[in-house]
Amino acid sequence: MSSSSSSSLPPCPKKMITLKSSDGETFQIEETAALQSKTLENMIDENCASTPIPLRSINGKILAKVVEFCNKHAEVGVDAESLHAWDAEFVNVEYTTLFDYILAANFLEIPTLLDLASGVVGDMIKGKTPDEIRKMFNINDAFSPEEEEEVRRANQWAFE
Amino acid sequence: MDALPDAIVQYILSYVDNARDIAVCNCVSKRWKDSLPYIRRLYFPRNSFENNAGQDNPDSVVWRMIASIIKLDELVVYCPFSSAGLASWLSLVSSSLRHLELRMDNLAEQQACLETPSKLDCIGAAKDLESLKLWGVLMTSVPKWDIFPKLRNLEIVGARLEGPALSSAIQACPNLTNLLLLGCEGVRSVSIDLPLLEHCKLDFYGLGNCSLSLTSPKIESLEVQGCSWIRVRETNCLRNLSISNNSGRVYMVDFGKLAALESLSIRGIQWCWDAVSKMLKWASEVKHLYMKVEFTGDFEALQPFPEVDLVDFFNSHPKLQKFDVHGAMFAALCQKNSLKNIGTAFTIPCLEEVAITVRSPLNAEQKMGTLESLVKYGKNLKTMVIKILQMKSSHSSADDFFDEICRFTYMNRKIVRIE
Repeated sequence: MSSSSSSSLPPCPKKMITLKSSDGETFQIEETAALQSKTLENMIDENCASTPIPLRSINGKILAKVVEFCNKHAEVGVDAESLHAWDAEFVNVEYTTLFDYILAANFLEIPTLLDLASGVVGDMIKGKTPDEIRKMFNINDAFSPEEEEEVRRANQWAFE
Repeated sequence: MDALPDAIVQYILSYVDNARDIAVCNCVSKRWKDSLPYIRRLYFPRNSFENNAGQDNPDSVVWRMIASIIKLDELVVYCPFSSAGLASWLSLVSSSLRHLELRMDNLAEQQACLETPSKLDCIGAAKDLESLKLWGVLMTSVPKWDIFPKLRNLEIVGARLEGPALSSAIQACPNLTNLLLLGCEGVRSVSIDLPLLEHCKLDFYGLGNCSLSLTSPKIESLEVQGCSWIRVRETNCLRNLSISNNSGRVYMVDFGKLAALESLSIRGIQWCWDAVSKMLKWASEVKHLYMKVEFTGDFEALQPFPEVDLVDFFNSHPKLQKFDVHGAMFAALCQKNSLKNIGTAFTIPCLEEVAITVRSPLNAEQKMGTLESLVKYGKNLKTMVIKILQMKSSHSSADDFFDEICRFTYMNRKIVRIE
C-alpha cells in the first residue's frame, strides 16, 4: 500500500501532521486522512497539531497500521467492494493485534476501525463453547466451581 | 483480553447478537457476564429451542435474557413463541426497543384459534418502535394498536389480510417512510394515505384483481404486484415505478404527472391497451423502460397488441437509455412500418442498451427492419442483446429468421449479441 504522502502531482503542498508512537517512532499523515480520528480532529481544530503529537498508548508497529488504514479510507475513488476486500485483509491478523487495533481506534476515536475490528472479534466468538472462547482469547478470570455450576444452570438451554 | 478495559469488552460483545452465543458468553468469565447487560441487540434463530429438554419454557428463557439487558434496542425472534410470552417481553423493553422483527407463524391458526390479546395486539405495547418486521401474519381483524408515532419502516412478509384490517393497521403508523407487504393474500381493496411514505412495495396474491389507491406526495419508488386498478395521484417525486400482475388483468391506471420518473417496468399476462398506452404517455421522461406484457384486451379474451409507431414511440421518450422489451410489444413496434417514410432528422438520441426477447418468427422481415433501424438511428447504442425464447424450430421460417439474426449479429458484432 503506498502512502498518500508520496502522491506524484500535488497541486499544492499537502498539510501534514506528525504522530509519535510510544516507542519514539514518528509518522507523517496527511491532515485529510487524520480527520477520520475525532481525537486528532479536535487537536487540529485547537491548533495543537503543529508539533509532533505523542501517542503514549500506541506502539510504532500498530501506529504504522493505523496510519495505513486512515490513508486507505481517505483515498478518493475507491469503490466499496475493493475497500471491503482491503478491510478484510487488514483485519486478517492475530487476535492480540486486533485488540491493539481496537484500543488504538478507541483512543484515537476512529469509528470505522473500531467497528471493523470489534466485528471480527464478535464473529470469532460465534458458535464456540465457553472453553473454546477462554482458550482462544487466553481468558483467566474464571468462575469458581460453584459459580460456574450456577451460571451453567442459568444458561442450560444453550448447551442442549 | 484480560488487559482490555471493561468498556471495550462491552463494545466487542455488543457485536454478538445470537441468543445462544450470548448465553455461552455468560459462562466464559465473570467480566464477560457483567458486560452482557450492555448489549443492544438480541436474536433468537428459528432452531433456538429445538433441542430443549423441556425443563425451560422457551418464552421464559427469552424473558430472562431480555430482563438481564439494560437497554435493548433490537429484538429478533424467529423461534416459536406465545402471545403471553410476547406480552411479557415487551412489558420489559417497550421504552427502549426501536427494532422488532417477529416470525408470527399464525397463518395456519385460522379463525378457530383467536387468542386475546393476539400476538399482533401485543405488539402495540412497543410504542417507540422505528422498524417493525413480521413474517407469517394472520390479520383478519383490526389489530388493537393505538399509534406508533416513530415507526418509519413496516414490513410484512407472508400474510392473510382483510382489507379493512390492513387499512386500520396502516393508519396506526402515520409516519411511515417505507412500507413493504410481500406475499399477502386476501386483500381486495386497499387505500393507503401516508404523507411521508417514500418507498412502497406491495405484492398481493390471489386473482390479481386488487384495487389500490395511494396518496403519498413524497413517494419515490413504488412496486405493485397483483392489482388491476391502481390510482396514485400525487407523483411529483416518483422516480421508480413497477407494476406487474401475474394472474389478473390490469385495466385501470390513474397516475398524476410522472415528470420525475426515471424507471418504469410494466409486466403481466394481460393489460388493457388503454392502461399500457397511458403509462407510456405519462412516462415521457423515462430513462429505463422494461416491458413484458403478453397480451392486451379489455375483456377475458386475450388480444394481440395494436400496432405501435416506432418513430412516435422514440420521439415521445427522448431520454430513453435502456430499453428491455419482450415478444408482444416488440412485434407491435415492428408492425407499423413508419420507418419507410421518415425524415433524415430522426435519431434515438440517448438509447444505450437494448434487450429484446423474440418468441415468434412471424413478420421476420419487419422485425429485422426494426432491429436494423435501432442500430442505425440509435447513435449512442452500446449493446443490443437479442434473446430468442421458445421459438418453435420445426417451422422452417424460424430457421430462416434465426439465420437472418445471426447475419445481423455478425454485421454489428461490436454491439449486438444473441443469448
